[in-house]
Amino acid sequence: MSRKVVEIAGRRLSLSNLEKDLYPSHGFTKAHVLEYYRRIAAFILPHLHDRALTLKRYPDGVAQAFFFEKRCPSHRPAWTETAEVRGDDGERLTACLVNDLETLLWVANLASLELHVPLARAASPETPDAMVFDLDPGEQADILDCARVALILRDLLSRLRLASYAKTSGQKGLHVYVPLNRQETTFADTKTFSRAVAVIMQKNYPELVTAKMAKEYRKGRVFINWSQNDSAKTMVCVYSLRAREKPVVSFPLEWGELESLAGLGDPERFQVIHSEAVRRAEEKGDLFREMLVKQQKLPHL
Amino acid sequence: MAMQGIWSGTISFSLVAIPVQLVKAIVPGRVSFRLLHSEDYSPLARRMFCPEQERMVPADEIIRGYEIGPDRYIPITDEELASVSPERSRTIEIVEFIDMNEVDPIYFDHPYYLVPLKGGEKAYRLLVEVMRRTNKAGLAKFVLAEREYLVAVKSTEGALALTTLHYSEEILPDEDISPREGKIEAVEKSRIKKSIRQMMADFNPGKYADARREKVMALLKQKAKEKAPVEAPAIAEEEGAGPADLIAALEEIMRQVKQNR
Repeated sequence: MSRKVVEIAGRRLSLSNLEKDLYPSHGFTKAHVLEYYRRIAAFILPHLHDRALTLKRYPDGVAQAFFFEKRCPSHRPAWTETAEVRGDDGERLTACLVNDLETLLWVANLASLELHVPLARAASPETPDAMVFDLDPGEQADILDCARVALILRDLLSRLRLASYAKTSGQKGLHVYVPLNRQETTFADTKTFSRAVAVIMQKNYPELVTAKMAKEYRKGRVFINWSQNDSAKTMVCVYSLRAREKPVVSFPLEWGELESLAGLGDPERFQVIHSEAVRRAEEKGDLFREMLVKQQKLPHL
Repeated sequence: MAMQGIWSGTISFSLVAIPVQLVKAIVPGRVSFRLLHSEDYSPLARRMFCPEQERMVPADEIIRGYEIGPDRYIPITDEELASVSPERSRTIEIVEFIDMNEVDPIYFDHPYYLVPLKGGEKAYRLLVEVMRRTNKAGLAKFVLAEREYLVAVKSTEGALALTTLHYSEEILPDEDISPREGKIEAVEKSRIKKSIRQMMADFNPGKYADARREKVMALLKQKAKEKAPVEAPAIAEEEGAGPADLIAALEEIMRQVKQNR
């Protein structure tokens, strides 16, 4: 077993099992995962900042069993920042806050390939700073259908004077985010609003959209999962790797890009692999930067 | 009927390796029911309850403990268990051949079939044929779902069947069961023997059926004819989709969006 001790900002971090093949069909090892997160750190860290992290760990790689971990592992380094948050049943638990490069690498070293965070920061867990539409294609539907739904959503939202931003889920779907960044917003607001939008979308595009979770409604359609707008739910963080066969990333797409991808008609071209993610982020900057600052108010509530 | 594969790999002995898939050999005939809430017909979920604190326990607070005595446990983590779990088998390696007649049926646990995969058909047929003629079964160790099993591979009507076997330490001794009291009379013995001879038949399982299952299915069919099924409440209904003001605004904007597309 290989072990390597690195020092970042005066803090020592012990990295282990670097040669472990975490994406076996792609030869992408723990060392590659750490290198990806090191290079994408400047882009992902602001989006992880002060949010209670849910780890999704793949100790034996993407083809083997994984587990979710909401608690920050007790063997964490002393310098790890944490927050006391409420768990699913109201109990208190200690969660990791990934606020710096060394914590990001420590978490990646735990084979937490995917980084999931709530829509609210740990200090204000009931105040979502964004509203999300999680577009999930049912059987016989794909990311192209999600793109159609996302583009209609963008038009609908822009007429409500709400700017929205899209990213790939890194799996089969797309996520459309609306930054809010206002202290007055509650999850009751974002849930009511997103659900109303989902129901209206379903009513107007019944062949394309469903607002219902049940499987039988989802076949051939895109499920607009509005129920993600909840303090107990998490979303995969923008720029996080996904545990699929290939090391793809949940990556932001410009609306124009999404339009041309929808026109090309090839679902695979939506997927952004790790190396391309780093290259594109360095070239274009953080396409999700408005998520951190833009203040918007949900109308008609 | 398309069969769902549980495992795929190769079955091998000496120099033969045949690509195969493992499928179930039985579908339990038990009729199963969902538990519903009688008030709104919602399907019910099971939750873990802590009787001490009188509250539901979330998944991340649940661990395993091995009971060593009343209220005494050795806690064990999933990681610790994983560290002693055997690696998933890629091959079923036959280590010896045995005579099937020698195996007490009490050892038979769970039956599966092995289905040949592309390229393995010819070798598969050969193995089926040879094992059928010799009435031999291959013994192998095999890891399925993190457990290591002893398995017997035998030939059945043109296919290979795999049966997981119990380990000998799982079999309870039968020595205390047979009563030692009482002398057996020769007359009685021959009378019983005669009765058995009169009732002899070929084993024909098709003539027996699960009578309760048939009655339950007939009852359900009858009920389906008489009355519409009940429905669980939908998560999002069109009615009451949101504040009237918001819905009206969204309807109007949706109309504009559709016009412009």
